[in-house]
Amino acid sequence: MSPVPSRNQSPGTALSFDAIFAKVQVRFPAAGAGSAPNGARWIEVPPPQALGVANFLKGDPALSFDSLCCLSGIDLLKFPAAEKDGPTSDALVCAYDLHSMVHRHEVRMKVSAPRIRPEVPSVESVWGVAGYFEREIFDLLGVEFSGHHDLRRILTPQDWVGHPLRKDYVYPQAYGGVELRREGQTFESGPYK
Amino acid sequence: MTISVGPVSDSIASWLSGRGLPLALSEIVAVLVVCVLPVIGIVFPIAGVAQYFERKIAASMQRRKGPMVGAAGIVDLAADMLFFWLPRWKRRVIARRVERLPLLGALLRQVRQWGLGSMAADGVKMFLKEDMVPGGADRLLFRGSTYLALTGAFLAFAVFPFSQWYHMGDPPVAALYLGAVTGLVAVSILEAGWSSNNKWSYFGGIRAVAMIVSYEIPIALAIATICMWSGTMSLQGIIAAQYHPGWFSFSGWNLFQSPLLTLLAGVYYIAALAECNRAPFDLSEGESELVGGFHTEYSGLRWGLFFIAEYSDMLLVGGIFATLFLGGFQSPIGEQWIVSLPPFAEAVVHTLIAVAKALASVGFMMWIRWTLPRFRIDQVMKLAWTKLVPLALFCLFGLALTQLVAAQRVGVVQVVYGRYLSAPVVRMDLFSWFASWVLVGGAIGVVVWMAKRAAPAQTPEMRRLLGKEAA
Amino acid sequence: MNVEREGDFITLSMGPHHPATHGVLRLEVTTDGEVIRACKPDIGYLHRSIEKIGEFLEWYQFVPYTDRVDYVCSMNSNHAWVCAVETLLASSEETKLAIPERAEYIRILFAELNRISSHMVGLGSMTMDMGAFTPFLHALSQREFINDIFEKTCGARLTYNYMCVGGLVRDLHAGAEDEIRAMLKGLEKAMIDFNRLISSNNIFRARLAGIAAVSAEDAVSYGLVGPNLRGSGVDFDLRRDKPYGFYERFRFDVPLGKAYAGADGRLGDCYDRYVVRLLEVLESIRICRQALDQMPPASGVEDDPVGGWCVAKAAQKALRKPPVGEVYFRCENPRGETGYHIVSDGTKFPYRIKIRTGSFTAMSIFEKLVPGLMIADLVALIGSFDIVLPEVDR
Repeated sequence: MSPVPSRNQSPGTALSFDAIFAKVQVRFPAAGAGSAPNGARWIEVPPPQALGVANFLKGDPALSFDSLCCLSGIDLLKFPAAEKDGPTSDALVCAYDLHSMVHRHEVRMKVSAPRIRPEVPSVESVWGVAGYFEREIFDLLGVEFSGHHDLRRILTPQDWVGHPLRKDYVYPQAYGGVELRREGQTFESGPYK
Repeated sequence: MTISVGPVSDSIASWLSGRGLPLALSEIVAVLVVCVLPVIGIVFPIAGVAQYFERKIAASMQRRKGPMVGAAGIVDLAADMLFFWLPRWKRRVIARRVERLPLLGALLRQVRQWGLGSMAADGVKMFLKEDMVPGGADRLLFRGSTYLALTGAFLAFAVFPFSQWYHMGDPPVAALYLGAVTGLVAVSILEAGWSSNNKWSYFGGIRAVAMIVSYEIPIALAIATICMWSGTMSLQGIIAAQYHPGWFSFSGWNLFQSPLLTLLAGVYYIAALAECNRAPFDLSEGESELVGGFHTEYSGLRWGLFFIAEYSDMLLVGGIFATLFLGGFQSPIGEQWIVSLPPFAEAVVHTLIAVAKALASVGFMMWIRWTLPRFRIDQVMKLAWTKLVPLALFCLFGLALTQLVAAQRVGVVQVVYGRYLSAPVVRMDLFSWFASWVLVGGAIGVVVWMAKRAAPAQTPEMRRLLGKEAA
Repeated sequence: MNVEREGDFITLSMGPHHPATHGVLRLEVTTDGEVIRACKPDIGYLHRSIEKIGEFLEWYQFVPYTDRVDYVCSMNSNHAWVCAVETLLASSEETKLAIPERAEYIRILFAELNRISSHMVGLGSMTMDMGAFTPFLHALSQREFINDIFEKTCGARLTYNYMCVGGLVRDLHAGAEDEIRAMLKGLEKAMIDFNRLISSNNIFRARLAGIAAVSAEDAVSYGLVGPNLRGSGVDFDLRRDKPYGFYERFRFDVPLGKAYAGADGRLGDCYDRYVVRLLEVLESIRICRQALDQMPPASGVEDDPVGGWCVAKAAQKALRKPPVGEVYFRCENPRGETGYHIVSDGTKFPYRIKIRTGSFTAMSIFEKLVPGLMIADLVALIGSFDIVLPEVDR
């Protein structure tokens, strides 16, 4: 119908990661920049500040991160150290992939929670979809989101024991009277085990 | 005191007593035969095979084959029976050779596609399914609702005019009786829904009652209008009033007398669809919402009885539509010749015509069902109370006016139709007919034009989707 | 009948066995007569722990599992996964893969064909839920032609396992291009018939107009994506705005919701989402035709796996030692944005795969959107969101 090829609707106000991080760090000095060997970069936010940073990222007119694309939970228990013999972490990380419909830029924010009592403030009031994402992370990884209006299991049954996506998860022997694994069966990484 | 339901039972009774049976017994037997024959001989078989035809009609509209059970067909069966000594493969070879004959083979190949075995399969399935009554259900009501549904459907057949010489009864208030008796179906659906101890069935039952009770009003208004137009509440009298002794006997039918009657026919048909819980009004059994609605918990023959009740209801409603608007059992052409036939022949021909018209109406209902989506309950109620009832009232008053005017212009006449004499009715002459069509048709056209003007124009995307303009 | 009295409300359990919930979805619905007062979705009946399984499989072995994440649009799910892995590999020069041009074109062609067939299912199911059984079968019969083409190419009719990291498993079968062109022509005619039958039907429109209108802010905040988001008027399509594969080379429009239902309709209601899907089918037909025109010819080698893993040594080598790091890659599936957030620890097994699907986030708006609707409208809403449960539960 249109005579010209479809054009990217970007208005040209997209910011780079450094610009976004600079704005965040001005307001929240505790925020750090993380990076991965493959070039991925993210804003590392301590748990108490997570809600404040989230509100800022959404509310600031130049940033306008109005869309929470993905909130994934990562268990760092078996993640290799950055350098040989370097320190490993056993934290539970919540990675927020944010996108702005207005400016069409993206950023990733990570909140690390300690394994013993993982508590992260809920960003449900900022992005409504976080309600379901956080329930899923609570169900599968055990991170408690404070301020969530209805934090209960979502994918596993309500009386399931344990958090399946954790790297040290022990598969239950039985559920509801039904045997779930053969004697001696383990679930290590790799096929055919 | 004689026990009789008309000339047919009288003749059967006299024949039986002539054979030596005591008079009272022969009268009772005659009455039973006359009353049971339409139900067992006409309604039950039609309701039984209606499921097969419904599925085939649906399949042809959906561009698929439909039920193909037993599609091996009669040729294979005949070959199996006639050449029983041959091995199976040889019999099949013979069957395939027969099917390759020029004309007969084409017909037989077509019959092969009909899959007539599905009728038998349906029947057997219904009998063999487990008959469960859900725990916690009200056992008496659960069982009784099916019987009540059947009763409601079949009671109305007691006054259904199959022909002049053969009917079960012709009370002078038949139309009133009809309106009263068809309400039993609503009670039975509510009973089924409540007694199933299932919230979804309960919803279905409530919806059905609300809908059926609401649509009783347009039906009653339509029937009352026809009674006013024909001057009598007796169904035979209504049919007699539609008799036209020329060759084109359909010109006497109520449908063509006045545009208001055509409108009323539409109102009655829509309300009749709702009475039968047929799409687009099938929200009481709405499969997509309520799984099975009021008949979720019924299985096997109990469900079969419900659906027989539904199809009998459809047949009945179609038959009443034919009686009120299409001249009942009259043939569209050459009726004066048929009505002068001897009684037995006349009964057979007329019954066939009546049933054919009812079946045509049922087929149309099936066509509508597989075309249109379903209403929501509040839209159903809105349609009944804000659209159909005012329309029916408009037709009622309009026809009263038409009758008054035409009576003064042309006068009233009593039509002699076979063994019946109609009440004094108005016969529209050509001028009145044209004038009424022009006036009323013009008014309706103006209303439609105004509605079209008020409706928003179609968006270009919708026009593109409908193929009205190229991309 | 026993009715638990909670005031005057009835608590119904819609599902998990229900014709209208499109799978094993359970909605706990509290109604006041026909009007719903509260709705609590209960999902997880189809949870197969695909994400956890992926941690035990090698990178290339996960492709069949992506088929099952959303089995109605398998090609698109395949596409998302292989693009995500290729993006991860592209961050380092040793592991960067050169995907053949023909493979990219076929990927887009099949992804769009699968979008068409997925919309046939979605639109057809919606009309069936509304009570019109015939258009559902007409739509499915068109889908069967698409399935035939897929079957001839990759052997499967539903879960194709056709794309692999680095390319495709096989090239198109001989005569595929003419078949696809003929099928598209028939499809256009069939869509016009379909629309004349049901889309402009007054009863159908009355059922959907103004129902469950989602505002643009709500749609973005609650993570609605794809046709659901565009039905609310938000102009965002990943194929155009964050193009992947060769999508920049194609010309197509992005249909938006515009209160198509007229006076009773509102922006973002069920009818808008329905019409957006219809228009997307037409746009996909356009893209398919352009892909067929622009595609470079086949290599002429019998059974040439176009860059597939089987012969691409580079892909084999790369997947044994991918770069350490993470990638969030998103693709435009028929149901919206399917995102793969993958974390790699440098071994041949993924460390973490997180699958973000459109239907899962669409469920998040139910509790807010449903109160006030009638039960019949809830059925319309589920159909208009085109929820498929494997996507929700993974």
